[in-house]
Amino acid sequence: MKLHSESAANRIALAAFLAYAGATLVLGVAVYFATHTAFSRQMDARIEQASEAIVAEFQEDHVAGVLEALKQRNDGGPDALGFALFDAAGHKIGGGLNLVLPPVGWHRISFIDPLEGADSAQSLTISLDGQYTLVVAEDLEALEGIDRAILIIFGSSFAVLLGLGIVGAFVLATFLRRRLATIKMTADAIIAGDLTKRAAVGSQNDEFDLAAISLNAMLDRIVSLIGNLRQVTGDLAHDLRTPLSRLRNHLDRMHSLEDPAARNVLIEDAVTQADDVLVLFDAILRISEVEEGSLRRAFGPIDLSRLANELGETLSPLAEDSGKHLDLDVQPGLSVQGDRELLAQALINLVENALRHTPDGATIELAARSDKGRPMVSVSDDGPGIPEADRARVLQRFVRLEASRSTPGHGLGLSLARAIAEAHGASFELGDANPGLVALIRFPVAV
Amino acid sequence: MLMRVLLAEDDLDTRQFIAQSLRDLGHKVEVAAEGEQAREMALSAPFDLIILDRMMPGLNGMEVLRQLREAGVATPVLMLTALGKIEDRVDGLEAGADDYLIKPFAVSELAARVQALGRRQSQSGAVTRLAANGLEMDLLAREVRRDGEVILVQPREFRLLEELLRHAGQIVTRTMLLERVWDFHFDPQTKIVETHMSRLRGKLNEGGKPDVIETVRGSGYRIRSP
Repeated sequence: MKLHSESAANRIALAAFLAYAGATLVLGVAVYFATHTAFSRQMDARIEQASEAIVAEFQEDHVAGVLEALKQRNDGGPDALGFALFDAAGHKIGGGLNLVLPPVGWHRISFIDPLEGADSAQSLTISLDGQYTLVVAEDLEALEGIDRAILIIFGSSFAVLLGLGIVGAFVLATFLRRRLATIKMTADAIIAGDLTKRAAVGSQNDEFDLAAISLNAMLDRIVSLIGNLRQVTGDLAHDLRTPLSRLRNHLDRMHSLEDPAARNVLIEDAVTQADDVLVLFDAILRISEVEEGSLRRAFGPIDLSRLANELGETLSPLAEDSGKHLDLDVQPGLSVQGDRELLAQALINLVENALRHTPDGATIELAARSDKGRPMVSVSDDGPGIPEADRARVLQRFVRLEASRSTPGHGLGLSLARAIAEAHGASFELGDANPGLVALIRFPVAV
Repeated sequence: MLMRVLLAEDDLDTRQFIAQSLRDLGHKVEVAAEGEQAREMALSAPFDLIILDRMMPGLNGMEVLRQLREAGVATPVLMLTALGKIEDRVDGLEAGADDYLIKPFAVSELAARVQALGRRQSQSGAVTRLAANGLEMDLLAREVRRDGEVILVQPREFRLLEELLRHAGQIVTRTMLLERVWDFHFDPQTKIVETHMSRLRGKLNEGGKPDVIETVRGSGYRIRSP
């Protein structure tokens, strides 16, 4: 196995494996000690019981009773208990146990097993009236056997688990590495310049698939932003070139003009052309500022109904001057979180757009109302409208449907209105007013 | 009204352009090329108006303004900025600027604002009546009269006329009217001011009276002197 000490996948696998091995080890040790203790207690209980029975014999029939009892027990008793009776002088006078007299109390002793030689046992030494000493002991062999069995079972299963764990960890590490490698490969390809690459999404819908889906969505967004940026740069260059070259020509012509009056006209034209370029820049900067989203910090409650009424009052003379009519349909008491001036600008742009693209006698409606708790404003007209196929396109910066770009306006009005709507968490839609166009800004539910 | 103006602007071209424009209007102009110098000059001599560029190397305009206000200098400050960001304007006004102008600007715009700021200082107390050239406004009764005759105007038109009369004899620019009458600090790129001004004029001049509002080409509007 190749070692990747810096690999997070390996570290995760190793940590999982160590936790698993540690848990098994703790379990084994616990079982071992629990079993060992339980069996030791049982053994002690048996020794105590037997010695109590013999003490009872001693109280009844004195040493003769004891000897009789020992004889019976030695002749094929049911248990592995061994006995020995010593007199006051320390000579063994009964019992089959072959050992040196231990002191009174519980001890781990050594005795001579007639079959196996020296062997160890648990023993209890009791003094019988100070004249005799009784030793009751049980061979530790049974207990050791159980201990050994447990150790063997756990040892071997631990070894098996260890093997399985290592294999598991290896498989886990490989799996993690492989899943991450596909994502890394995608990222590397993109870094190398291929923006069309996408991370493979599996069918399990697991965390990796979800991460890959998010990653791909992020990439799509980046690609669309880059596309937008390219388009904007191109259009900007185009839109700047035109007024700048006109400005240049005007300035050029001033050289040769002697008549001061004609010259003044040219100077005024030149100033207007420079202003056009500046207006274009302002609009672009404003859209960027709005899209950046940092303005949201300064948002506050805005009386949308009042704003709509104010704008209606401000803009209807403009509509009338251009031979059109602006209707107001405002529901009272609508409030949104936002920036009054930005919202005003968005609505002015929408009304202005409607005025610009409708014929004489057209009616434009500025409406504000609430739809299921969502405040919304709309500007609709009864003009020619925009074909559905073109609606998404007009929201892009600089797009004007007339290829000639002869009408006034820089093609940023709708982009700015949309950017402003989005900065307010609102949706912006262009729809069919049957006939005409409707632009609808739908705010989030008021809180 | 002629003023002593302190101009702090780091860009040489802009500095010379503004200083010359103000001198042409008859103002006395002293210049500083960076913030530190501007602060020292403002602290050591009295001025009627301070024009501060927001972005300057070293001490920027905002910082100079803050320090001057802390030092108790109450001179009106006109802040200049290259960025028309909404946040910048709010920051500048919060820091104690009296007005705000986004570069590049027309000389007429600068001149109008400088004049308005100079006047602001000399004006005091709440005005309830305004009058000039046969026009009278009662701001409490919200009534407009011309040669004694009551003229009915819309609320916006009333506010427009009020701004013009408050600065009678001075040019009030389109941008200033947008800011003060509509509270719009952006250029809506529509003829809002022009349209409402023309309606106001129509009402004031009804019956073939001579126009009391003068359009100053490329600058703004002014109440005509009698």
